[in-house]
Amino acid sequence: MDGRNKSGHDDASCIRLMLRRLLYDAKIRDAIYQIALVMGLVALSVWFVRNASQNLVNAGIASGFDFLWRTSGIDVPFVLTNYTAQSRIIDLMWVGVVNTLLVTIIAIIGATLLGFVIGLVRLSPHWLAARVAGAYIEVVRNIPLLFFILFWYFGVIAALPAPRQSISVFGVAFINNRGLTIPVPIDGFAFRAAAVITVAALVLAWIAARAARAERDRSGKTSFGWLAPALALGAPLLAFVVATLISTWDVPVLRGFNYRGGFVLIPEFAAVLAALITYTAAFVAEIVRGGVEAVPAGQSEAASALGLTTAQRLRLVIIPQALRVMTPPMTSQYLNVLKNSSFGAAIAFPELVSVFMGSALNNTGQAIEIIAITLALYLAIGLAVSAFMNWYNARIRLVTR
Amino acid sequence: MASGVKFGWAAALLIAAGGASAQQLAPSPTLDAIKARGHLECGVHLGLPGFSFANDKGEWSGLDVDYCRALAAAILGDATKVKYTPTSVQQRWPILQSGQVDVLSRNTTITFSRNASLGINFQGINFYEGQTFIVRTAAGAKTPKDLDGATICVAAGSTEEKNAADWYRERNMKVTIVNFQKNDDAIAAYDSGRCDAYTAGVGALAGQRIKLKTPGEHAIMSELISKDPQGPVTRYGDERFQAVVRWVLNGLITAEELGVTSANVDEMKAKSQSGDVRRLLGVEGGFGAMLGLSNDWMYNAIKQVGNYGESFERTVGQGSPLKLQRGYNQLWTKGGLLFSPSFQ
Repeated sequence: MDGRNKSGHDDASCIRLMLRRLLYDAKIRDAIYQIALVMGLVALSVWFVRNASQNLVNAGIASGFDFLWRTSGIDVPFVLTNYTAQSRIIDLMWVGVVNTLLVTIIAIIGATLLGFVIGLVRLSPHWLAARVAGAYIEVVRNIPLLFFILFWYFGVIAALPAPRQSISVFGVAFINNRGLTIPVPIDGFAFRAAAVITVAALVLAWIAARAARAERDRSGKTSFGWLAPALALGAPLLAFVVATLISTWDVPVLRGFNYRGGFVLIPEFAAVLAALITYTAAFVAEIVRGGVEAVPAGQSEAASALGLTTAQRLRLVIIPQALRVMTPPMTSQYLNVLKNSSFGAAIAFPELVSVFMGSALNNTGQAIEIIAITLALYLAIGLAVSAFMNWYNARIRLVTR
Repeated sequence: MASGVKFGWAAALLIAAGGASAQQLAPSPTLDAIKARGHLECGVHLGLPGFSFANDKGEWSGLDVDYCRALAAAILGDATKVKYTPTSVQQRWPILQSGQVDVLSRNTTITFSRNASLGINFQGINFYEGQTFIVRTAAGAKTPKDLDGATICVAAGSTEEKNAADWYRERNMKVTIVNFQKNDDAIAAYDSGRCDAYTAGVGALAGQRIKLKTPGEHAIMSELISKDPQGPVTRYGDERFQAVVRWVLNGLITAEELGVTSANVDEMKAKSQSGDVRRLLGVEGGFGAMLGLSNDWMYNAIKQVGNYGESFERTVGQGSPLKLQRGYNQLWTKGGLLFSPSFQ
C-alpha cells in the first residue's frame, strides 16, 4: 500500500481503501455487531420503561419510588432489625432481606453438612445404610418442595402443644405451637463485648497456630501447641459466661394467651429451615456421591496401601479431590436454596417475597416498582453467592503445569 | 385549552344538529367489547362461601357473583354469560388494571388510597361490613380488647392486616400478627392452633367458619374494629360503563325498595302504575337506551337474578348456611344503610 501511495494515488482513495479494509476486518466487524446489539438492547429497555410509565400515567396509577418512605403499618412477627409497624416501607423491605439471608445462610450450612453425611453413607460399604440413604435421596428428590414445607409446618405445629401446655426448658425457655420463646438480655452490651473478644481471640489463635507450626517446622519440636486451642475455645467461653452472668435477662412469663417477654423463634422459621435443609441435602448428597466417584479408585487404593484409616483416606485424599468436581454444581444448589427460601411466603415466614412482594405490594399497589426491586435484590444476593463460590473454586482448582 | 374550546363548539353544533334524535352516546369501549365477545369478564374471590364460591361442577354462586350475573343480564340479556376469574388478594388489582376483567366484584374494602393511587373507582356499596375476630369459645375472649397478648392470623396485604395492627397499637396492647398470603392459608393456620384468633370482615368470617373442622367451637365477635364497605370496582376511564356498573347496583336495591321481585316482575311490568317501577323496568323513560343498553335491562337483571334482598337471603342470609342478619345491609326504609339514588 505504501508503495502504491507513493506512486501517485491521492489521499481520498487511500482513506476509502482503509475504510473498506476496516469493513472486511473480522475483529472490527464483530465489534460493530456487538455495539449494535448492545445499543439495540438499551433502546428496547428504554422503550419498555417509557411504554410502561406512559401506560401507568394513562391508567391513573401512581408510580415512582416515593412509596418506600411511607409508613408501613404492618406488624411482622419475626424481626431482627429494629423495625416496628411505624417504620417505613423500605425498613420492611430490609426486614425481608435480613430474614431471607438468615434462613438462606443457615440452610446452606445445614444442607451441606447433612448432604455430605448422606452422600458418604450412600457410598459406604454397609449394605443397609447405603440403601436407606439411597431411598432417602430418591424419595426427597421426587417430592415438590412446597409439599415438604407444608408437611414440616403443619406436622411441626400439630405436634407441638398449646402455650399453656408448653414444653419448658429449665423454666426459662418454652416450646409451644407459637414457637420457641427464649430469654434475651435487656441490654446487649455485655454480649457485644463478648463477640468482639471472641473475634480477637480467634485472630490471636490463628497467629499462634501459625507461629507454632513455623517453630515445629524449624526445630522439629512441638511448642505452644496448647496456646491456639486454648485461645480459640477458652477465651470465647469465658467471655460468654461472664456476659451471661452480668446481664439482666428478660425471661418469658406466661400471661394471658402466651408467654410475654424474651425473643420468639417462630415455627414458620423452623419449618422453612427444616424443609430447605432436608430437601436440599438430597441434592447435595448426589453431588457428593458424584464428586467422590469421580476420584479414580487408584487414589483410594494407594491411600489404603499407605496405611491410612478410612477417615484419614476420606479427609486427606478423596474429599480434597472430590471438592473440585463438586464445587460448580454446589454453587447451583446454593442459589436454589436462596430462591427456594421464597417458598416461606406459603407459610407466612416473613422473608422478602412475603413481606415485600406480599404485604407491601398489596398495601401500596406499586407492583412494577416492587417486583423490580425484589428481582434486583435476589440478583444481587445470588451474584454474591456465585462470586464467593467462584473464588472458592479458583482457590481449590487443580493446578496443572 | 384550545382543544377544549373546540370540543365545546363541536358539542354545541352536535346538540343543535342532533336535537330531536338523542342517539349520539359517548363511545364506551368496554360495553362494545362485552357485546362483541358475548360475555362479561368478572373478577371474583378465589372461594368465599356466600360471596363467591364455585361448587364441584364449577358453577359460581354468592352475593358478589349475583352482582356479576345481574350486570351480564342488564348488558347482554343473559345472566349466564359471565366468565369468572378468581382473584387472590394480590392479583385483584393488576387483573383489573390490565383489562383482563371488566369489573371486579369481590370482597374488597373501599379505601381512599386505592381509589386515588391504583387507577380504580368504586361504584357503590353492595355490602356494609366491619372487621372483627373469630376465636375458640374455650379461650373465653368476648371482645377484641380481650385479645391482648394473642397471636392473630390474617391475610397479607388486606386492609385487615393494617387495621388490626393500628387498633391494638392505639390501645397500647401487644398482639402478634402472622401474615399469610391467602385467606385460606390463614384460616387453616388458625384452625391448626397456630393463632388464637383470625381476623377478617364479618361476612368473610361467616363464610370461612364453615370451612373449620368444628365450626361450633368457634365464635365470631360482635364488636367491630373497623368499617369495611364493599362494592363493584372498575378501572379509570370509560365513564359510561362505570355508569352502567353503578346503576345496575342501584337498580337491584331500588327493586327491593319498590317490591319488585323475580317472581312478580312480569306482573309489575304489565300492570304497575308507579312511575318509579315503570322507569326501572323500561316501560317508560327509555333509561336503558340512555346507557346504551336495551330498555328492559333491569327487567332482565331482576327476572334472572332477583332484587338485592332476594340475592342477600339466598347467598348469605337466612336461606344460606351463613345465616347473616341483614343489619346494616337492610334498606334505609327499614333501619339499614342501603340507599339508592333515584330512578328519575
